[in-house]
Amino acid sequence: MIGNDVIDLAQSRIESRWQRRGFLEKLFTTPEQLLIKQSSEPEIMVWMLWSMKEAAYKIYNRQTKIRQYIPKKLDCTILIQENAQAKGLVSCGENIYYTNTIIDKDSIYTTAVCTLADLDHITAVENKNIFKDVNGIPYLYNAAANSYQDVSITHHGRFEKLAVIMK
Amino acid sequence: MDKKELIEKLKVIIKPFTTNTEAFNNLTEETDFIKDLNINSANLVDIVLDIEENFDIVIDNADMERMLDVKTAVEIIETKLAAK
Repeated sequence: MIGNDVIDLAQSRIESRWQRRGFLEKLFTTPEQLLIKQSSEPEIMVWMLWSMKEAAYKIYNRQTKIRQYIPKKLDCTILIQENAQAKGLVSCGENIYYTNTIIDKDSIYTTAVCTLADLDHITAVENKNIFKDVNGIPYLYNAAANSYQDVSITHHGRFEKLAVIMK
Repeated sequence: MDKKELIEKLKVIIKPFTTNTEAFNNLTEETDFIKDLNINSANLVDIVLDIEENFDIVIDNADMERMLDVKTAVEIIETKLAAK
C-alpha cells in the first residue's frame, strides 16, 4: 500500500501559523516537539513530520477505512537525515509505515509504504485514470492489465503528486 | 447559547479556512470540514484552537480525533459548555 503527501512551503506560510500557542502541542508527540525545538530549521521539521503523518495516515485510512484526526497517534521517528532527504518510520498502534521524505527550497514531499522493500519501488505517475471507491479511496486504472492499482494523490499549492508501487 | 447561535459562531471560526464558498454558504450539521469545505487537514487544528479560545473550553485529544464535521463539533462544544 502507498501513501503520499506534498507541502508547498509558500502555501503553508500563508495558511498556517505553526508558532501559534497550542499548535505544536495538539499535533505532535513530546519527542517530536523536542525534535522541532532542537532543529536548526524548525519550520522544515514541522512540515517534514506533518507530511510523514499525512502520508502514513493515507495508508492507515486505506487499511482500516477509519476517518479520524489522529496526528498524535501517528508517531514519527526519523532514522536517517542527510541533506535533502530523510528516511523514517511512522507507527500507529500496531501498524508501522516506512517513509521517505525529499526536501527542497519550495516543497517537502513524503511517500509512505508498509514494507521497507517497497520504498525502492515507488513510482510517480502522470496518468489521471483515477477512480474512487465509496470511502473516497483512489485507485489507478491500468488499461493494459485491465486492473486497478492502489494510488495515492496529494496536492497543495503549486504541486500535485501521484504515486504507486511498481514492481 | 442555543444551537443556532452556536453554529453561527462556529461559522465565523471556520470561514477563513474554507475554500469551497458554495458548500460554506449551504452549511448544515451534516457538512464535513474536509470532504465538503475542502479545509486543509493542517488547518483543522487551527479550528480546534480557535474554538477553544472563542468558547473558552478545552478540547482534549479524544474529542479532536472525532471533530471532522459540524455536527460533532457542535456536540463537543455543547458538552463542554454544559460542564462549565
